[in-house]
Amino acid sequence: MSEGESWRRNADEAQEEEEEVDESGYKTVKDAVLFAIDVSKTMLQKPTPTDGKKADRDSPTSAALKCAYQLMQQRIISNPNDMMGILLFGTEKSKLHGGEDGSGTGMSYPNCYLVSDLDVPSAEDVKRLRNLVEDDFESSKLLRPTTDAVSMANVLFCANQIFTTKAPNFSSRRLFLVSDNDDPHENDKDSKSAAAVRAKDLYDLGVVIELFPIAKPGHGFDRSRFYDDIVYRSSTGEPDAPAPVSTAAKVSSSGDGISLLQSLLSSVNSKAAPRRAAFSLPLEIAPGLKIGVKGYILVKRQEPVRTCYVWVGGEKPQLAISSTTQLAEDTAKTVEKSEVRKAYKFGGETISFTPEEITQIRSFGDPTLRIIGFKPASLLPVWANTRPAYFIYPSETDFIGSTRVFSALQQKLLQDDKIGLAWFIPRRNATPTLAALVPGEEKLGDDGDQVIPPGLWIVQLPFADDIRQKPEIILTRTTDTLTDMMRIVIQQLQLPKAVYDPIKYPNPSLQWFYRILQAIALDEDVPDKAEDKTIPKYRQIDKRAGSYVVTWGNELEQTAQKLSSLRPPVKGIKRGSEDPDSAPTKRLKAVKTDSGSMTDNDMKKRYAEKSISKLTVPILKEWASSKHIPIDGKKADLIERIEEYFENK
Amino acid sequence: MANKEATIYIVDVGRNTGDTHSGRDESDLEWSLRWVWDKITTTVGTGRKTAMVGVLGLRTAATDHFLSDEGGYEHISIFHPISVLMPDVRKLREKFEPSSTNAGDAISAIILATQMITDHCKKLKYTKKIFLVTNGRGHMDADAGDIAGLAKKIQDEDIELTVLGVDFDDVEYGFKEEDKSDTKASNETILRSLTEQCNGQFGTLEEAISALGAPRVKTTRPVHSYKGPLTLGDPENYDTAMSIDVERYPRIAVAKPPSASQFVVRSGATQDSVQSSETLQEGGASDQRPDGDLAAVKNARNYQVPDEDAPGGKKDVPEDELAKGYEYGRTAVHINESERNVTELDVEPCLDIIGFVPRTNVQRYFSMSKTCMIIAQKANDKASLALSSLIHALHELDTYAIARFVNARKSKPVILLLAPEIEIEYECLIDVELPFSEDIRQYRFPPLDRVLTVSGKTITEHRNLPSKDLMQAMSDYVDAMDLSTAGKDDDGDVCEYATMDQTFSPVLHNVNQNIQWRAARGDQSLAPVLEILTRYSRPPDDLVTSATTEINTLVKRSDVKPVPPKLKGRKRNRETEKPLSGLNVEELLGREKRTKISAENAIPEFKQYIENSEDFSAIKNAADQMFNHVSSYIQHSIGDSKYGMATEVLYVVKQSMIDYEEPEIYNEHLAALKRKVLDGSLGGNRTDMWVRIRHNRLGPITKEQSKHSKYSEEEAKRFMRVSPK
Repeated sequence: MSEGESWRRNADEAQEEEEEVDESGYKTVKDAVLFAIDVSKTMLQKPTPTDGKKADRDSPTSAALKCAYQLMQQRIISNPNDMMGILLFGTEKSKLHGGEDGSGTGMSYPNCYLVSDLDVPSAEDVKRLRNLVEDDFESSKLLRPTTDAVSMANVLFCANQIFTTKAPNFSSRRLFLVSDNDDPHENDKDSKSAAAVRAKDLYDLGVVIELFPIAKPGHGFDRSRFYDDIVYRSSTGEPDAPAPVSTAAKVSSSGDGISLLQSLLSSVNSKAAPRRAAFSLPLEIAPGLKIGVKGYILVKRQEPVRTCYVWVGGEKPQLAISSTTQLAEDTAKTVEKSEVRKAYKFGGETISFTPEEITQIRSFGDPTLRIIGFKPASLLPVWANTRPAYFIYPSETDFIGSTRVFSALQQKLLQDDKIGLAWFIPRRNATPTLAALVPGEEKLGDDGDQVIPPGLWIVQLPFADDIRQKPEIILTRTTDTLTDMMRIVIQQLQLPKAVYDPIKYPNPSLQWFYRILQAIALDEDVPDKAEDKTIPKYRQIDKRAGSYVVTWGNELEQTAQKLSSLRPPVKGIKRGSEDPDSAPTKRLKAVKTDSGSMTDNDMKKRYAEKSISKLTVPILKEWASSKHIPIDGKKADLIERIEEYFENK
Repeated sequence: MANKEATIYIVDVGRNTGDTHSGRDESDLEWSLRWVWDKITTTVGTGRKTAMVGVLGLRTAATDHFLSDEGGYEHISIFHPISVLMPDVRKLREKFEPSSTNAGDAISAIILATQMITDHCKKLKYTKKIFLVTNGRGHMDADAGDIAGLAKKIQDEDIELTVLGVDFDDVEYGFKEEDKSDTKASNETILRSLTEQCNGQFGTLEEAISALGAPRVKTTRPVHSYKGPLTLGDPENYDTAMSIDVERYPRIAVAKPPSASQFVVRSGATQDSVQSSETLQEGGASDQRPDGDLAAVKNARNYQVPDEDAPGGKKDVPEDELAKGYEYGRTAVHINESERNVTELDVEPCLDIIGFVPRTNVQRYFSMSKTCMIIAQKANDKASLALSSLIHALHELDTYAIARFVNARKSKPVILLLAPEIEIEYECLIDVELPFSEDIRQYRFPPLDRVLTVSGKTITEHRNLPSKDLMQAMSDYVDAMDLSTAGKDDDGDVCEYATMDQTFSPVLHNVNQNIQWRAARGDQSLAPVLEILTRYSRPPDDLVTSATTEINTLVKRSDVKPVPPKLKGRKRNRETEKPLSGLNVEELLGREKRTKISAENAIPEFKQYIENSEDFSAIKNAADQMFNHVSSYIQHSIGDSKYGMATEVLYVVKQSMIDYEEPEIYNEHLAALKRKVLDGSLGGNRTDMWVRIRHNRLGPITKEQSKHSKYSEEEAKRFMRVSPK
């Protein structure tokens, strides 16, 4: 139960899809994660304090809770429709839905305490979890281990019931189990068997157990003692697949180095998103040679949630769900989907087609990835890109032997720095494109974990129709001296490790958006300054390259002057027709910003003196365009806009 | 901005244009119209208000134009005066039929067309064109003087004249018609002489028609998307910062086919007239209405919030009680109109270099957008010089720049990769967006060049890894299928195959082609797909032929076997899944054989039950119990709270019944369930549950899914309707 059956959740969407390949179907495949965190004496033990800067201060339980807290915040951003819940087990208190202890349902699952129910997290859930993480008093009330023996069978059945009732038809359901106890039923064979039976239930229900083991100091974590009876192969779709990269047991040390929290975070993060295939299709390597591949989206722009409507007529704001009915314009009668026809405006006429005809016109055959030949990678220019690449990896589901053939192809392309060219239709009725198949090497991070998986990437190429006409330019070419000076500047400013590592650059506007939203949702103070790691390190740039830039600037100034003395200023400049606002005055604008034209301060002064109107239109326009103020319209409009700019400042 | 255009097509519809020649199936007129329609519909299709078209009929039975009083202009008709749009392309269709006469003079028609253009354009700036399409089999009456005068007039008015003739001789194109009649030969001579004297064009129709196979690429005037400084360092606070005035233009923008609007048949229009799928202008009423019998479809929205007291658990809320907001998890966060922009990051426009990376360290799969290009500010020599030095330095160092880009105030910052591009007389930086940390999904996959076992060993020989033989075969195949020298250019020289400027968007052009096709014909047919649109959907034939040996070897050594379709859905062996330790959980379970399935743990118990029983009665018994649970879930559901559980159980049972080839167990139960759901016996109106069952495709198992089913696809569809019509 996993990728294979996603069809049934989005089959309808897939049928309606016709415009282009989007990820809408993919998004509706939902995920539910239940954290089950062990609360025991050893789990609550804080490491011996040390002076080390990175010293661990968290007990395993609190590290796990922090981890869950971070994951919850992260998932609100990245998977806004997915569910999450947090269950503590081994606690003195018991609570499932509703009341604590003695009352009703709680009793059937003793020593299980549901901190937040499995659901799309609400602001209250985030707040409660934060209090538990940050407020020692709050947590000390709850985090008290029971003295009774905890039945794992009971814990697993509790999880079973939570999944059955709260997320009955999610295509991905996962139980994240955090514990340091590798043998909870050491001398109790019956309890052990009962746990194995309950684990099988979970497996049959389609819930995957992800174990995050924590090694006790001097003890380690031996999966074979108990958990190998509980955990099933994670790649359920493909029983024959080799074991995936498995997480190593975490060493809970009080010493320095990577803290428990850090290592737990990194392994939880690697499981944060369930692996979902965007499509599954035959890769036709050669005429008569098909293998199976699955496509994944590993790179995609994460956007903030769209605005929605909130009903404010009641006691508390509630999300309003909109539904659309289609009406005929003339009679205002409701229109059934089957009655709708598609028509194009053409000249003054309307040319109409039946839905079947539209499908036929847009259809170019079954989904496929058909290689038509190979080229050296150098023939794939940087500009030939239209959208993020898909990642593909072999699958044995449809063709036995796919993996080895795929591997041979990937290795050959890597060795010879070649790419494949392929005809690509990702889904039924999707727009066909030509795509470059670019081989990708496996990349490991510093800690030896995989960062980029090995496989092929599908880069969808532009057609002739998509390539825009270049604007005309009048080229003034550099001199060797000038280029050499710029080379020195560039050499000073290589990024760390000479790579762009996306992980180091969180999206500033996205983070800001959710910071604010969280602050409003939790009724906190709105922060006034955003953290923005994309802003270049100006001080370093100045220190490392400043003097070389100045040298280059002086040379540029001289070369430019020599040039302008060689030819009369107006010659060679296209005026008027091409670009109305590139009047000759613009040429005077120096390359450095400390130019002779209107500076911000001058303009500000004039604004204060109310003498902006005395400036000429070209000067106003130039200044306005530098501030991205619209420059169309009359002079009065322009002045008004500039004044507005200062008013709002 | 494109110039205003005025174009007149003179179409010869003389009686003998209905004849066929040179072994074609089409008549001369039909053949001519292929070209004429393509031109007219393309112009109309652009929707340009500055492209005007007029159409003249030559050798028409009647005479209908403003010079009709003068002699020598008989049998010419204005089919369509020069105008912007063609609201009645359809009417032209009727007029383009061979007439009942052969009389009518082409030269007169050209004179008339010249007059029409002159009258229309006056002294305004226009691109003026006249096209004459004829089979040259009519009588022409013109002396050399007339021709010279007309040629002068055409030249004075700056009109471009093109004559296209059916089977006209064309040395350049290499066409010569045998046994040409004297009349036609003489006509060709006259027309050729006219075009030569007025710098016009003269050609054979075949050439023009053969050019129709190449799709036209629409050019868009470059418009800048950013204008401002490209900086290195902070010019506000450091006097060591670099700043170059640049402009940014789109380099790639995916061209989309025109979008269709939604319509329904106007009430009152008969359903039959529509089902025949005509262009819908055929009906009588359509003359008054531009949209014919179609009425636009409007969207009406209504809003609901959950309310436990309301029937169905939801109540409608009026629009004026709604405010804009966002979802934070499942919490609705409402933001006042005045505070709307607090969620926007306060940033100023910039294009600011963060640092540099060697090209070889840049991974192609991080390119995540269409691309743009950055050039120096227009007419700024110094900026051009400065940018050029950056471009060349990057190029020489084989290095790319990474920059932070903000398009406008308060818009979202993105990270750009800047790559140098140097051509003869052209230089620019190409830019493409790179991902942020949130944009990367970390899925892990096993390595492809070795196998790691569960026990932690590394193996290099495995059935999932290629053998040396397979590697060699793949290598030979890839080398044999090299496209970089598989193409031929116009001179027959070897060149790259399938370059991007040779490939055309199949959907875009096929949609356009069909709109034009239907506009021109008005019938129900669809246009044939142009060969070029599917040319690159398969490897080039000659390459495949020459690589036959390599392909055969590769196929043989790959030894790929398709999985038989029947096994795909099922577990490949009937052995039950075991945990990592291999413990036989079945044995633990087996001691107390299940016969009863609990409501709480239904799905696991059902699976375990039927896995251990083979006989029909056990399977039937299990399914019976499951359907009882489904009914009970629905009956006790508050609102839709337990619908999810019910659908999940249905899904599991349906899959099992397909696997066990017992479709009718499921189908019979489903029919009983339908009755109960719809007759109100499961706790009130549960129609929405049925809608959900339909939506989740849990209808009857069909014959396609399991051969013993009684339901065809169509019957299953009908069954799922709430009230079968």
